[in-house]
Amino acid sequence: MPAPADALADECALVDDLVGDQAGDWDVAGRLPEPVLRKLATAGLLCAQVPVGHGGIGMSSRRNGELTAFTGSRCSSLRSVMTSQGMAAWAIERLADPGQRHGYLEELTGGRLAAVGFSEPQAGSDLSGIETTIRSNGDGVVVDGEKVWVTGAHYADMIVVIGRYEDEAAAVVVPRRARGVLVSRVVNPVGCRAAGHATVRLENVRLPASAVLGGGGTALEMLVTTALTYGRVSVAWGCAGILRACLTAAVSHATGRTQFGQPLADHQLVARHLANILVAEQVATRACEHASDRWDSRSPQVGIASVLAKHVAASQAASGSSTALQVLASAAGQDGNVVARAYRDAKLMEIIEGTQEICQLILADHAVATAR
Amino acid sequence: MTSSDQLTDQQSAHTEQDLVSYLTGRLKTEVAAAQDLFDTGLVSSMFAMELVVYLEQCYEVAIVGPDLKLKNFRSARSMAALVHRLKTTVTPDAGAG
Repeated sequence: MPAPADALADECALVDDLVGDQAGDWDVAGRLPEPVLRKLATAGLLCAQVPVGHGGIGMSSRRNGELTAFTGSRCSSLRSVMTSQGMAAWAIERLADPGQRHGYLEELTGGRLAAVGFSEPQAGSDLSGIETTIRSNGDGVVVDGEKVWVTGAHYADMIVVIGRYEDEAAAVVVPRRARGVLVSRVVNPVGCRAAGHATVRLENVRLPASAVLGGGGTALEMLVTTALTYGRVSVAWGCAGILRACLTAAVSHATGRTQFGQPLADHQLVARHLANILVAEQVATRACEHASDRWDSRSPQVGIASVLAKHVAASQAASGSSTALQVLASAAGQDGNVVARAYRDAKLMEIIEGTQEICQLILADHAVATAR
Repeated sequence: MTSSDQLTDQQSAHTEQDLVSYLTGRLKTEVAAAQDLFDTGLVSSMFAMELVVYLEQCYEVAIVGPDLKLKNFRSARSMAALVHRLKTTVTPDAGAG
């Protein structure tokens, strides 16, 4: 299996250097050091697919995927912030008019941090229930609503908020420091504990009309599907990274610890666990590669491939990390441990960017539509 | 009507016919140019996104921002009209995506 670090040596070395052995401490503290985020953002690595013309690195989805997996293997909280920043950048790339696009993307590749707000208290899986409003008011707009579980919002300088606008929908870029914006952290999230998940309340937030991407008027479903397609590919690669970390930890433990006079890896029931984790990592990776290749070849199948990849990779990460925890047993019995983190982080991946069940509904719909 | 208008009308009709063929193949059912794909339940928002990428790739246009309206993807005819409009409108930054 090719080592991704070979192809992305400098980028991975920077991530490795910044994370070091601190991911466990960040998990326990529930916080990422801001300088780490700023350094990666300034290097353009949190949204590495932004085209060169907009100040980005212009990585392919495949390469960015490998970088995302590598980052996820070190720290899923950091990888979650990377997913959010990349999704914000992609939403801006697709939805903004040319003037807005260049300005915002240069900010995002220059060190500023962004998050994207979809979910609301009454609109989770069913985003058609979004109640946040973006209303025209004189020369500007007024935003009112509440977004929940906004990944990275605690660190973000700007939040891309999806809301209702006239008869359609729009994405509006809300500066964190705008009057009427209240960001409050989710306390003790079950996974990706340092990813800065937060509730974002927007009360009578007045912004210039230029904050509405592309002037608004996009169909809500298309707006959401556009942004989530990036998010799903990114989360899927993050899950492949979780599995790579689990495989490394499980093999290391099983070969290093002796019980009943032989290494754990020589006990057949444990050996089967190792095989299952390897299979999980490979299955997840293949699904990710499939989706990224669809992205890079601009295939119309990219949307469904992203759903498939996210669904497959999150399932594999949840089962593979559970298996790894079984192999490490009490050695991974404490928060902060790489496998303990993987176990909690992977479960969250079965929920965000479309629950497993929502993904299954989309896949079933696709199966029916293409079998007719 | 000028000759260039006639030419673009012909191209638009051609695009419409291409799209009817694509949709018929993809949906495995006969599709008429003006048929409402959403009303007939043939198209989901996921398929609408597939159409966005298909049009962009096939006709070398960028469909962004307010053009991402469902009504633009409602039928082969509306998609052909969208492509035609994007082909004939100068967008200085269209290649950046």
